[in-house]
Amino acid sequence: MKKVFALVLTLAMALSLAACGAASKPAASASGSAAASGSAAASGYKVAMVCDSSISDGGWGAACYNAMVDAAADLGWETAYSDSVAQSDYASSITSYCDLGYNMIFLPGNQYSDATVQVAKDYPDICFAVLNGAEDLPTDNITSILPNADEIGYMAGALAGLMTKTNVLGFIGGMEIDTTKAKLAGYEAAAKAVNPDITVLSAYAGSFDDTAKGMELANGMLSKNADVFFGDASAVDSGARQAIDTANGDGEIGIYDIGQPADLLGQNPCVICSVVTDNAGMLKLAMQDAQAGSFGNKTIYGSFENGCLSVGAFNDELVSADIQSAYMDFIDQMAAGTFPG
Amino acid sequence: MKLKKTLMSVLVPLASVILAFVIGAIIIAALGGSPVQAVAYLFQGAFGTPNNFASTLVKATPLIFTGLCACFAYRCGVFNLGGEGQFIMGSIATCWVATTWGIEGPGAMVLCLLCGIIAGGIWGAIPGILKITRGLNEMIVSIMLNYVATLFMGLLYTSVLRDGNVPQTAAVPDATQLQRIVPSLRVTWGIVIALAVAAVVQYFLFSTSKGFQLRAVGLNMTASRFNGFSVKKYILFSFVVSGAIAGLGGSVELLGTQYRLISGYAVGYGFDGVAMALIAQLNPVATVIVAYFFAVLRTGANTMQAGTGVPTSVIDIIQALVIVLAVAGFALVKLPQIRQWLAGRGGKKTAEKKEEK
Amino acid sequence: MDIGELILSTVRMATPILLVALAELYSERAGLVNIGLDGIMSFGALAGFMVCFITGSPFLGILAGAMGGILINMIYAYCTISLCAEQIVYGMAINIFAPAVASFIYRIYFGVSSTLAQDTLMKSIAIPYLKDIPFLGKLLFDQTPMVYFAYLMVVFTAIFFNKTKKGLNYKAVGEYPKAAETLGINVIRQKYVACMICGALAGIGGAYLTTCYVNTYSDGVVAGRGFIALSAVIFGRWSSGGVLLACLLFGFCDALQLRLQIMNTSTPYQLFQMIPYVCTLVALAAFGIKKAGPKANGKPYMREER
Repeated sequence: MKKVFALVLTLAMALSLAACGAASKPAASASGSAAASGSAAASGYKVAMVCDSSISDGGWGAACYNAMVDAAADLGWETAYSDSVAQSDYASSITSYCDLGYNMIFLPGNQYSDATVQVAKDYPDICFAVLNGAEDLPTDNITSILPNADEIGYMAGALAGLMTKTNVLGFIGGMEIDTTKAKLAGYEAAAKAVNPDITVLSAYAGSFDDTAKGMELANGMLSKNADVFFGDASAVDSGARQAIDTANGDGEIGIYDIGQPADLLGQNPCVICSVVTDNAGMLKLAMQDAQAGSFGNKTIYGSFENGCLSVGAFNDELVSADIQSAYMDFIDQMAAGTFPG
Repeated sequence: MKLKKTLMSVLVPLASVILAFVIGAIIIAALGGSPVQAVAYLFQGAFGTPNNFASTLVKATPLIFTGLCACFAYRCGVFNLGGEGQFIMGSIATCWVATTWGIEGPGAMVLCLLCGIIAGGIWGAIPGILKITRGLNEMIVSIMLNYVATLFMGLLYTSVLRDGNVPQTAAVPDATQLQRIVPSLRVTWGIVIALAVAAVVQYFLFSTSKGFQLRAVGLNMTASRFNGFSVKKYILFSFVVSGAIAGLGGSVELLGTQYRLISGYAVGYGFDGVAMALIAQLNPVATVIVAYFFAVLRTGANTMQAGTGVPTSVIDIIQALVIVLAVAGFALVKLPQIRQWLAGRGGKKTAEKKEEK
Repeated sequence: MDIGELILSTVRMATPILLVALAELYSERAGLVNIGLDGIMSFGALAGFMVCFITGSPFLGILAGAMGGILINMIYAYCTISLCAEQIVYGMAINIFAPAVASFIYRIYFGVSSTLAQDTLMKSIAIPYLKDIPFLGKLLFDQTPMVYFAYLMVVFTAIFFNKTKKGLNYKAVGEYPKAAETLGINVIRQKYVACMICGALAGIGGAYLTTCYVNTYSDGVVAGRGFIALSAVIFGRWSSGGVLLACLLFGFCDALQLRLQIMNTSTPYQLFQMIPYVCTLVALAAFGIKKAGPKANGKPYMREER
């Protein structure tokens, strides 16, 4: 009896090994990390991203992943990622990368702060870069990367204020997190500074990936005459844009959307402009710190003034030259600290 | 015959795991990764360092509880699929007591654990009561209750018990948390509680007369009724106990690992418990072993994904395959035709071959 | 609040749930509880999206969704019917397996980019005359063909199960499989057929999301709709009319919830999301065992040895 058991076991083992062996041949040429670094010469450094949404969500996840890949390609770092990680698994996922000898872990959001602090204690030699991390978060091995959410809101709000004809604006958020709330507040403040009669409708989808919900929320706002939209909810935003396109129909485009964090002009006909956040540039600064050994205990700010935030390309057919120049005036005032006051 | 049965219950899951990994290896190879390296990462992740080993135990703890929860109810012939809801209700009660009553220390910890047990037991009693009074299908009721519990938890961490700017509750105070067994390792006394519960369940089911009666009800309800057992009482009892086990698990998880309610908390634990109990053939001790194995797979898989860079979904595929194949394997060897054939041949290879089909 | 918009939104949100609830109805009528609807839907959503993206035809997308749904559900069918394994376990296993496969295929095919791939949406077709009915016409008769399909399926299902011999035989399989077998009904075959119908309808429900509703695919697009459909079947007491009403109610709750949020951001949306489940529990407790669905529901059927 035992003999047969042993036989079966060895057989199975041999089979699986054979399968592995056979399969590994074509892999030899492309071994190592699937998300290998770009053409730049390897620097020996490795960075990994742990993300709760999917990196192919066409929104936040994708933008952050691309930012990491771009920054890493410039400096010759290797990259890796884990996406769709549940909040309760953040810590163990981060720990995995620490154990694998990654030099830096990139956490794209404030929601990773607690897990990061917990793990960072045990791995003093590894650098942790938290995007949108709070200013009091940094320690010896944690750096916050903080694009100015107020300014993002101002930049979108000013344009929305100039473009609206109905004086009703829409804003769709994913989760009620600090940065989203700040963007909403900035959006509202700037729009009202441009035109005091404006009201802003806002709602949270409670999700970053329920596209249909974005569509329904946008429809609800459309029925209340909102005509310029801005959002902070990844895939949910793409649903909203679709609802706007549908509402515009085949005729003239009269309802607009402002994209972020990448330049989304051309993705949907309704996109008139984008507020672009250069996460790659800020992450690159953090990586250079790590290489130079000066990482930690600081917050890398991203603002319009230092070039990390910028105005994307305009849709020239929808945004007239007059409005564009009026808008750029507001942006200059914002840079000078006098807008929205 | 007994030996053959034991052999089978080891062989079937083993074969399904190997098969699932062969499929996983093929996917990894097709993506340009090295399967051998992937397996190396898997072991490194699960056992590589003392802390990894500890992490695996930490991960196993909640699974042991939900596995025992499913196991206990199944032994009485009722399908408690509400382990997740009961686990979550236990966690909620614990979180509420630990963060809002303003008490700290070991005494508070014991109180928290008790509240977790009670909350889980109450949540478990609902499908039991509805079954014995209204004759409702306990599976459907307990699934619905899982969703109610999950959404209720969501309500708490986004509004009522929310603390800070991210949707989550406050953390359990340090003094109330379950302490680490060895200060340098992540593993807490939670695993000891889990093992103790397993031992008690094993003892109760197989060494007491009440346990024997409970199993008798599970094997044949009609016969038990004729023998004068109060079937309804046993059904309710098993639901309450199994809910209490899950509730205690939720309490331990909150006090020892997560410290706060957040989104994604406990997702899938209930179902994992059911699958594990079935793979373990409803044996409490075997459930612990299977739970540990699942934990190895999970922690290892995290590292494997990180190391090889394959999409995270590959790991989910492999895990689902293990369950699909293992449960199918057991169902297969239980089929009358196959059983007869096995009895005639006395072979074990057959089970494996059939299963790959 | 704009009532017309609210009703329109209700119809839109109820349609995918309705399609999937009908899928579950066909499955449960044959005694098979399938809780893997979410999984089947996500695979159907991906298959529908990809085919629609490649061919540019939403109708082919729907067809692909149906095929994909059947394919995935065959795992469930084989294991639960032929192997007599736990139905619930396989439902849940599909819920882990199918979305992972869908996400995997999408990632491999489309890669990672900062914009989502978009397919062509199915155009709505107005029904002549009916669409001119004031108010309701625009709401109910100016929709995509899939919406009409869903409502026709409701009518068809009601007639099939109550008026036709085939339908009664079908129901017998879910009620008294042993008796059905002695009456010459091939129970095993009927159950497989049920699984194919279930897979096809659930797959269509998924594909509806990506070819008629939104024009993109993202992981998590199904967002638990399969479980709401499961509740709808129970709440609708296993009759197609009841299922329709349940779906409309749940769709309405969701639409209302989203509208309330726009007016007041502090709406606790989880309370609204609980409605389907709580309704179902209360209804179950109220009507008790007598109306608790097909009698052999969830029980494996082992054919007697010959």
